[in-house]
Amino acid sequence: MSFSLSRRTLIGAGLAGGLASSFGAAHAADAARVGVLIPQSGPAGLFGASCRNCAELTAEEINSRGGLAGRPLELLFADAGAPPAQVSQTALKLWKSDKVEAFVGMHDSAVRGALVGLFKGQLPYVYTPTYEGGECAAGTFVLGETPSQQLEPVIPFLVQEKAAKRWYLIGNDYNWPRDTNAAAKKIIAAAGAQVAGEEYLPFSVDNFDASLAKIRDSRADAVLITLVGGASVGFNRAFASFGLAAKTLRLGTLIEENTLAGIGAQNAANLYASAGYFVGTPTAQATGLERRYAKKFGDNAPTLNALAESCAEGLLLIEAMAKSTGSLDVRKIEAAAEGLRYDGPRGRTILHARHATRDIFLARAEGTSFKIIKTFAQVGSGQSCKA
Amino acid sequence: MPEALSLTLLNLAYQAAVLSLIVLGLGIVFGMLGIMNMAHGEFVMLGAYAMVAAQRIGAPLWSGIVLAILVTATLGWAVDMALIRRLAGRPMDTFLATWGLSALLRSAVQLLFGKGYQNVEAPNAGMSMLLGTGYPTYRWQLMLAIVIGQAALAAWYLRSPAGARLQAMVRNPDLAEALGLNTRAMASGAFVAGCVAAGLAGAALAPLVRVEPSMGLDYLLISFFALVVGGLGSLVGLFAGTGLIAGTQSLVAAFADQTAGYLALLLVSIAFLWLRPDGIVKR
Repeated sequence: MSFSLSRRTLIGAGLAGGLASSFGAAHAADAARVGVLIPQSGPAGLFGASCRNCAELTAEEINSRGGLAGRPLELLFADAGAPPAQVSQTALKLWKSDKVEAFVGMHDSAVRGALVGLFKGQLPYVYTPTYEGGECAAGTFVLGETPSQQLEPVIPFLVQEKAAKRWYLIGNDYNWPRDTNAAAKKIIAAAGAQVAGEEYLPFSVDNFDASLAKIRDSRADAVLITLVGGASVGFNRAFASFGLAAKTLRLGTLIEENTLAGIGAQNAANLYASAGYFVGTPTAQATGLERRYAKKFGDNAPTLNALAESCAEGLLLIEAMAKSTGSLDVRKIEAAAEGLRYDGPRGRTILHARHATRDIFLARAEGTSFKIIKTFAQVGSGQSCKA
Repeated sequence: MPEALSLTLLNLAYQAAVLSLIVLGLGIVFGMLGIMNMAHGEFVMLGAYAMVAAQRIGAPLWSGIVLAILVTATLGWAVDMALIRRLAGRPMDTFLATWGLSALLRSAVQLLFGKGYQNVEAPNAGMSMLLGTGYPTYRWQLMLAIVIGQAALAAWYLRSPAGARLQAMVRNPDLAEALGLNTRAMASGAFVAGCVAAGLAGAALAPLVRVEPSMGLDYLLISFFALVVGGLGSLVGLFAGTGLIAGTQSLVAAFADQTAGYLALLLVSIAFLWLRPDGIVKR
């Protein structure tokens, strides 16, 4: 009873929310339509505008190279910041009514779970943000960094170079931080270092004093931070205000340019981040994207960051798929996916087990931007996808 | 005293002081005047953005505080004229109207400053030795300022003729009106003062916390908890409520973990709503 009621409400909301705007000159009959699902509301809404900008720039670039297998690429954006059931309804409408042939998604894992259940491998779906690993559904291709990708090369490097022997793990209480730390613990032990403490904070916590006292008492040399968004900003500000930054290094796997801006230059000493992209990534494509981004969207545009840039990567993978198979047919793409490669802002990407093998960068915060101090070449995702 | 204990006590004192600073404004507006202002947290947010604006144009720190007072006083006055007075005696409508106002203020700040996080630099980022442990200088200075400011305010409220008139209005508005007090003007003044108190809290906290358009929501919820537990309409209740809420959260988080700390805070609030809805100090 209540199920059918809520279902009806959700369909209504989905249709209202699904007034997706289209991009591109041609509503040509033969346009290849790709749905881009990005957070335009909700906690990750901060990333919506920069994602959209990156996707628009990349679509222009793809169309200037001839589109997708000879057809002009047309993007349809929709909000993925809503609850999973609602995003599903929006995606269903894009798929069935608007004839979208492939999807790029930059959203949380709960939404991904719902979309995988909706698509059932019937069309290509590229999931782009940093995530906890474990997605092996047919037709779903994952470009984001996995925990082992971000930590496998980085932790041993910091243990060696920065004498980080004791690690304190702190994150928000949900699956991404817990899965990241599960991977981190193995890597820390293998590198001959120790775990000095482990702590998970509810999203409602905005006072970090008790955690900072524990970190100080643990005599940790390094803190692995998997707090997200505002929690990461608040924690890092308080961490530095207690004078902990000088002696204890911090490593974050989701500290991007927005988070760093909130942390502030005076609180960013000894702060490192590991990711597949930072503003200033040393590839010609990254430089080109950053230049065109600044030119098209101006100085007051939302800052570029890894999550935004991942939307560009998603479209580049779809372009590579179309080029390799001459279509957007998911069966042909599945057959051609293993070993499929393309070159983008993050450098060379090669698909293995529907995940990306690519370079991983370790960067140090300098003021309010990141400086890449070490590149780890062609790091695998650690996902085998063998059930 | 062992260092860990000093730090726990200082953290507790800091949390209680900061919470009392945030709750003060809501204590005036909700506790004394009985107005459900759901946009109260947004006044805290506006105070913080006044500091962002001052820092952005390179103006000194005190000018950010002045700006925070000007912005929140003007806006508080406008809101009182346009919404609060017109909806007097209609609590549900006031609730909805101020909820809409909060969304409007968040969107306005997003338009002006963007959705992203802002960084306000602390005036003195160093550490001081206090009770045998290192403690951030700005924090203890802020604690000291809060204690002095609130002691002065309490003395004024309890001893001065103006304070006596306010107390009369809070306890029995009809009788106060009959005695010739202009309670309507006093209520407006008190509402504006509550908004300014929120703005000052935001300005003072901006160097320590995350600053973004939706930051006000955090402060609204915990302020209501503290008021409910303490009891509405009295200063003693306000301080008792903030002390109990801050103490519970801070001590449980220190000796167990943060999840338990938040759970304890919720349990205390629920227990009070259920068993003692008038709070510690009954008006």
